[in-house]
Amino acid sequence: MKDTENVCKENIFNQVYRDNGKAIWRFIYYKCGDSAQADDLVQEAFIKLWQNCAKVPLEKAKSFLYTVANNTFLNEVAHKKVVLKHAQLQPNKVDSQSPEFLLEEKQYLKKIEIAIANLTEAQRTAFLMNRIDGKKYREIAEILDISVKAVEKRMSQALAALRKEIENI
Amino acid sequence: MNMDTNYTLHKYLNGEATADEIEKLKSSPEYASYIKIAEATSDFEAPPFNAEMNFELINSKRIIQKEVKRIQPLSAFLRIAAVLAVVLIGYLYVSSLDTTISTQIAEKESFLLPDTSEVILNANSEIVYNKKSWKGDRSLTLDGEAYFKVTKGSSFSVKTAQGVVTVLGTQFNVFSRDSKFSVNCFEGLVSVSFNDTLVKLPAGNIIKIENGSLVVHTPSNSLAPTWITDESHFENDTFHVVLKELERQYPITITAKNVDVNRRFTGSFTHNDLNVALKSVCDPLGLQYTITDGEVNIYAKNQ
Repeated sequence: MKDTENVCKENIFNQVYRDNGKAIWRFIYYKCGDSAQADDLVQEAFIKLWQNCAKVPLEKAKSFLYTVANNTFLNEVAHKKVVLKHAQLQPNKVDSQSPEFLLEEKQYLKKIEIAIANLTEAQRTAFLMNRIDGKKYREIAEILDISVKAVEKRMSQALAALRKEIENI
Repeated sequence: MNMDTNYTLHKYLNGEATADEIEKLKSSPEYASYIKIAEATSDFEAPPFNAEMNFELINSKRIIQKEVKRIQPLSAFLRIAAVLAVVLIGYLYVSSLDTTISTQIAEKESFLLPDTSEVILNANSEIVYNKKSWKGDRSLTLDGEAYFKVTKGSSFSVKTAQGVVTVLGTQFNVFSRDSKFSVNCFEGLVSVSFNDTLVKLPAGNIIKIENGSLVVHTPSNSLAPTWITDESHFENDTFHVVLKELERQYPITITAKNVDVNRRFTGSFTHNDLNVALKSVCDPLGLQYTITDGEVNIYAKNQ
């Protein structure tokens, strides 16, 4: 079996980076909420890929990167508090709403931010990959190496936990 | 009832629920909350990913050291076997390495690829390909400019920093320097891919791409690039591009103070006589030049 597209070729490696760098970075960011840590781990994952380029076929490169990123993360000691920032409100939305509404909305979003930080890492990662990255369950299952049913469970748990914390139930 | 609602909720989260289904979900206060939370969080943003910075750090870190293995004490026999193994592996390794052909300033190089496809490399250019794997994979990397005469066969690709040119069997010219990428097809059909675009270029056409976007796609009636017969030709190119090519074909550095280098130039210059070359470039634009020891100074006539 001839491997014509080999990750050891610099232009192939660079393409793998272009295709996956951002998603892997965000994956780690969702876990730890720390940009610098995400930078370190994404670099580590790609360096490991290069070092093992002869053993990793191109089709397996993506899952290799996620696995290395996840394992390196687990080995790291510090677990900082995860707080994610929400996007700026759209300007046209701002114009047509009353100040009270805007304040309520701001507070609501702030509560969500904090509640997301309090989710378990498993719930938060799956939830944000679905919500922010727009990934479907099938892809999340593939990346996290779990079943689609397991993804459903994490999503349901995440929503239930978020609702509980936001609405003080 | 709950199983159904849950199923619909997951459909919604996957972006597959109908408007009706969503309305139905909202009729339950519990699920209405879920939808509100889900909608709000989909507007959240992760911080921006600094692709360039991380890429540079990856590159600088991976080039650094290979690990140094400790040499175990071996019996004489094993030692000899180890040396032979290293020699054999060394040979296999070296023979599987890529071949690099590069040209200096004022140099051209003409060579054959393992399948007898012809390549002519213009000055200050470089091609990398692998002799061993050429049979199964006719792909090479180009930085600079080259003219190709490809024998019929499997897919032949030229990879550059700005895009990829793919052919089956044909004649074409590829120019890839800085942010300029241009392909001229003389015979056959060529496929050019850059960013997310794919263009099919038939014979007698030229395509120019700058900074990743298409600038020009026009007919061109030359049969072969003029530079392979020692003449550089320009069609409405900026003066800056012309000066850069002069610096590639002659061992000179050019200064052009107070000259508008964005003016367009159509014409040619020879590779074989510096004075004639400079005259053909300066006269049409009303410029003059002086040469001192390889330093050329170009200025406007009345200065």
